[in-house]
Amino acid sequence: MNEQNDEQLMAEVAHGNLDMLQILFNRHHRHVYNFLFKMTGDKMLSEDLTQDVFYKVIKYKTTYNNGSFISWLFTIARNSLKTHFTRNKEVHGDLESVTYRIGEEDRTEDYSHLHKALQQLEASDREVVILNRFQGIRYQELAEIMETTPGAVKTKMSRALKKLKTIYLQTI
Amino acid sequence: MEAKISDYLDGTLSKSEVAAFERQLSADDDFRKEVEEFKILFEAIKTEETVAPSKRLATNFERMLQEEKNNQVKVISLPSKPSKGIAQVFRVAASIAILVGSFFMGRYFESRETQETMALVQGEQLELKQTTMISLMENQSASKRIQGVQFIDEFPEPDEAIVEALAERMLTDDNTNVRLTAVEALSRFTQSEQVKAFFIQALQTEKDPSIQVTLIKILVDMQEKKAIAPMRELLEKEDTQPFIKEEINSLLPKII
Repeated sequence: MNEQNDEQLMAEVAHGNLDMLQILFNRHHRHVYNFLFKMTGDKMLSEDLTQDVFYKVIKYKTTYNNGSFISWLFTIARNSLKTHFTRNKEVHGDLESVTYRIGEEDRTEDYSHLHKALQQLEASDREVVILNRFQGIRYQELAEIMETTPGAVKTKMSRALKKLKTIYLQTI
Repeated sequence: MEAKISDYLDGTLSKSEVAAFERQLSADDDFRKEVEEFKILFEAIKTEETVAPSKRLATNFERMLQEEKNNQVKVISLPSKPSKGIAQVFRVAASIAILVGSFFMGRYFESRETQETMALVQGEQLELKQTTMISLMENQSASKRIQGVQFIDEFPEPDEAIVEALAERMLTDDNTNVRLTAVEALSRFTQSEQVKAFFIQALQTEKDPSIQVTLIKILVDMQEKKAIAPMRELLEKEDTQPFIKEEINSLLPKII
């Protein structure tokens, strides 16, 4: 049963076999959680949002179009994040202005140097870097998630990495 | 070339591309520095530890999944129930039967009710006509009485009361025309024993020759044997008109 790929499992979930979602959760919840944590820097919030993502997987299971499950999952995750920031009025528009303010809040959580460097990137740059470099999502799937072309993703990716490299090396 | 740095570090370039890349690397110090920096960043990314969520996440997820499954059972149990093959077919058949049954039942009761209503209306109409007829026959004016008698056209099967009322006109009315009309009216119901008896009675009492002639003709046509005796009496009576006697003489033999 565990050998079924994500798409087959999700197809079963869409047909009402909710037990399969447990397998998908086991496989992917860490990725989703880490993505959200890197984006927000807030562990509790990331857990809540991860929970919300999987809840939405059940809720919208019938809208799953048999495409890449990872793309679908992270599309939901991005939307959850966007919705969260819109609701909390920390954003004036979209994900672009999701800025995480490490310095302002004196958190006890210890962030790695790289994590701090990531927070200085623009949200959209941060997002592609995290999804691609940390979660191993390919350009093709990233293009689906961001509703653009793989080429455009790759270009954005190179620029974002260059920025990150500069920040990272400056503050090391 | 710069765009290929990450591909180079990821090891996704083809052999020829790697060769070209490395040529550039050894020729260009700035480029080499750039690549080295990227290498540091990529190493950092590679060694970046993934954060493990607390157990709360898995626990909450499992609880949520269980709830959804419970909800789903409730939702699914409804459509699954009626889809039990033959029982379902019978259910559909039964509902169709009830539908058709009630339609015909409704139609039956409806028509019966209509028939009853019609019968009632017709009955009422008949009663009204009868009342009109009888009251007309008792009117002062002879012409009204004739009109009343002629009302018999409205009754294909008159009841006893009407026949008696007509007979009364025939036997007792002062006006000859009324009596004659009554005779004509009654002549349509010669099958009735009651009517026959009235005719014989009329023959015995009637003085008007024209009515006598009519009665004789009717009774002969009816082949009424009981009429023979009163006819003979008429022959013997002195005040009987001679042409009546002639008529009786010519017709009497026709009654076999």
